[in-house]
Amino acid sequence: MDTYDTADGDEHPVLGRLIKLGLFLLAQGVAVMLVAFVALLVRFGTAWSATAEHASLLQPGEARSGSLLLKEDGAYTEAVRLGTDIEITVSGPTLRARVTQLFRNPTKDWVAATYVYPLAANGAVDTLKMVVGDHVIVGDIKERQQARVIYEQARSAGQKAALTEQERPNIFTNSVANIGPGETVLVQIEYQEPVHQTGDEYSLRVPLVVAPRYNPAPIVQSVDFRKDGSGWGAATSDPVPDRDRISPPVLDPARHAPVNPTSITVRLKAGFALGEVRSHHHNVKVESPDDTTRIVTLADGAFAADRDFELTWKPAAGMAPSVGLFREHVGDSDYLLAFVTPPGVEQATQKPLPREVVFVIDNSGSMGGTSIVQAKASLLYALGRLQPNDRFNVIRFDDTMDVLFPASVPADAAHVGEATSFVSDLQARGGTEMVPAMRAALADKISDSSMVRQVVFLTDGAIGNEQQLFEAITAMRGRSRVFMVGIGSAPNTHLMTRAAELGRGAFTHIGSVEQVEERMRGLFAKLENPAVTGLTARFSDAKADITPAIIPDVYRDEPLVLAARLDKLAGSLEIKGRVGDRPWSVTLPLQSAAEGMGLSKLWAKRKIGDAEVARAMREMTPEESDKAILALALDHQIVTRLTSLVAVDRTPSRPEGEPLKLSDLPINLPAGWDFEKVFGERPHLTPTQLRERHADARNQPSARQPKPAAPDTIRLPKTATSAELKMIAGLILIVLALILFVFNRRRRLLADAA
Amino acid sequence: MTIVDKMPRLISPLVLALIGLILFGDGAYIHAKAWLAQVLLERAFDRSIATGQAVKPWSWADTWPVARIEVKRIGASVIVLEGASGQALAFGPGHIHQTADAGERGIAVYAAHRDTHFRFLQHVAIGDIIDVTRRDGRHFSYRADSSAVVRFDASGIDATTQGFELVLATCWPFDAVTSGPERYILHATLVGADR
Repeated sequence: MDTYDTADGDEHPVLGRLIKLGLFLLAQGVAVMLVAFVALLVRFGTAWSATAEHASLLQPGEARSGSLLLKEDGAYTEAVRLGTDIEITVSGPTLRARVTQLFRNPTKDWVAATYVYPLAANGAVDTLKMVVGDHVIVGDIKERQQARVIYEQARSAGQKAALTEQERPNIFTNSVANIGPGETVLVQIEYQEPVHQTGDEYSLRVPLVVAPRYNPAPIVQSVDFRKDGSGWGAATSDPVPDRDRISPPVLDPARHAPVNPTSITVRLKAGFALGEVRSHHHNVKVESPDDTTRIVTLADGAFAADRDFELTWKPAAGMAPSVGLFREHVGDSDYLLAFVTPPGVEQATQKPLPREVVFVIDNSGSMGGTSIVQAKASLLYALGRLQPNDRFNVIRFDDTMDVLFPASVPADAAHVGEATSFVSDLQARGGTEMVPAMRAALADKISDSSMVRQVVFLTDGAIGNEQQLFEAITAMRGRSRVFMVGIGSAPNTHLMTRAAELGRGAFTHIGSVEQVEERMRGLFAKLENPAVTGLTARFSDAKADITPAIIPDVYRDEPLVLAARLDKLAGSLEIKGRVGDRPWSVTLPLQSAAEGMGLSKLWAKRKIGDAEVARAMREMTPEESDKAILALALDHQIVTRLTSLVAVDRTPSRPEGEPLKLSDLPINLPAGWDFEKVFGERPHLTPTQLRERHADARNQPSARQPKPAAPDTIRLPKTATSAELKMIAGLILIVLALILFVFNRRRRLLADAA
Repeated sequence: MTIVDKMPRLISPLVLALIGLILFGDGAYIHAKAWLAQVLLERAFDRSIATGQAVKPWSWADTWPVARIEVKRIGASVIVLEGASGQALAFGPGHIHQTADAGERGIAVYAAHRDTHFRFLQHVAIGDIIDVTRRDGRHFSYRADSSAVVRFDASGIDATTQGFELVLATCWPFDAVTSGPERYILHATLVGADR
């Protein structure tokens, strides 16, 4: 019973105990501080590495209903991750691309994921494969509704399923159902596409991100009156009925690391000795196994999908072949693909006609960042190229628009100077109401038939109501020709090519400021030189179904591209036309055609394009064109507006009763875009509020100035720490502990004394 | 009476003291981190000016010093970081992303914690000269000309201003212990620039 307690008590019991306690607390305090400092170092590490995981943050407002969002740290984390691998084989005039998307589910739930992605507008998607574990399920082409039903049934039955649908000719979605916890599913699609040629340069373009589209508000109904003049018509209320399907969540690059790592490999077999091979927007490694073959891979490995991949190649020496003829035998038909580059006419022999050029520049928010710089540089270059006897006008638009001169003016120094300062002052903001601007540009106020009328339209095409624009061009084009200049890292190529086709003009693309001069020089060569017109094609022996049905005019350095289905491969193909005012013709013997790959698919895809154009031009009723498209798509196994690919793994994998969560995969903002300008200021104006202001420097100088932005105020961050609070609370607790200790001592001493 | 008998009575004050110390240590750690980071930042910033490159203060940092703010009258000096995320603000004042750089046309907004780096803001009077040295070594003087207390989401700061302006922002009131929606903003206008 003799404890050290009583032994201590012999001397100064209370004091001794207090000293002991004090020392104990001090030691503990030092220990805590040490722990705190170790924690400091550890937390530095984890805090920073945690930012990498924030890659997947998105705001709930930007996700569609049904998205799987896990709340964490006040922001939301998207569950399913994705990687993309693209393998392209170029064989002569065509290319075949295999796009493999890897869906990984790191969560503990069963999920269904949807990913919106772009593809080349003239690519024919014909294969879908789903790889689960070690077995491969090959997809079938089905009518769109039917494919949906099959997919939904599989989804609710707990079977793994994949569905590829076309939302726009260049926007597709892949849906994958029933990815198990921790599981990875590969979805592979393949498409066939013709190689693009301009002058002696060949190119391919892989769009890698769907740029956010401006979707006009559905406030105004557009009315379609029947053609029979009966006065009856139908009102269509929403200009973009499928806005939900083409608006995936977009990550703000300032706050999140890029997602969707993508790798690309191109096997280039050009069919002729290769000269320069160049990637315009990515660093690449080029291997050359032999003269005609190159293997192109990304130099820096996988990169985030935020800009289009563009590869161009030229023949080794001199000019590119001016004629190419390729054939393929499928079923009981032969398919033919022909490239013919008509001869250029020298400027001297041809007196250029004076021109009236209307420039239209898009200064909407989606053009913010580097795009507006490229657009302005291009337009300033164009203004500098005008001749004194030309007339011109400039229109700028966002969700408002300004027409610089009431009518086109002579391109004298004073007018050009005025236009230059107008263009230099433009700033990117607001929505994209493209249709009124196109209408204003096509309004032919002078109607001077001695002048060639040309519209040069600079935009990124980031709108969802493409169809309305096509209708405006078709209805109002008159004698004007529309030249589209696609701006930025991920322009809407479908809109550009179709608008240029309907407007009987050409399309050029500018992806960086360095390309401005080269590409604009090419465009001006087309504007200033006479086109090859009145083109016809005729087969001597074979019965042929030729596409495009009406051969468009061909501009300088562009090839005429024809696809045809033949009953037999015999005789020759004769192409006739007029170069300026001189007749021109060329005859190609079919026997000399080389074997090509996937030509039947290209023919079918082009025929489908024809049907869509005929529908826009009101040459075919919607029912007729749908029927034609459906027949072609089912015959040739191509994904279209009306057909989808669906793959179902018949063995159920999700146990009954386990819930399935939905997930929309976020995409990157295209490179060079300004997130604030696209999502920061939502357009407030509706089409009814659009004002057309005819600005004139003499009496309305203020209308010329870009409007000051509504003062978007800056949100201030949280700038108080909890340090004080914690320290005060800590002190209070320590004091409380001391009081309690002393109180206990007292009571015990009193008890002892008693 | 044994030690075992005394244990229950000792345990509760000890546990209380331990929790108190941990809390106190956690609070002190915030201050220690803020102070230590500024020392490292000072070094990184000096190297930035010397080399003309953005220098990270420590290898795993995702931000870097962009400017030094000084108020000579009260002897205050802090290094500003790029970005105003919570993580950056733990180490120094942050330059809010969508605002201009100091010395450029527009408005430069810097924010920091009221109890660490911007504690000195309560002593800055209207008329004081605020010196800003940029990463490229250029030097700008601003004169404080107004202050206001605003809500964080209605700062009234006009990002599109055509003038050369500076705003230092922190939480309000200075001596509160919990965070609230109010912010103190000190506005200043450029009065001189030199190398």
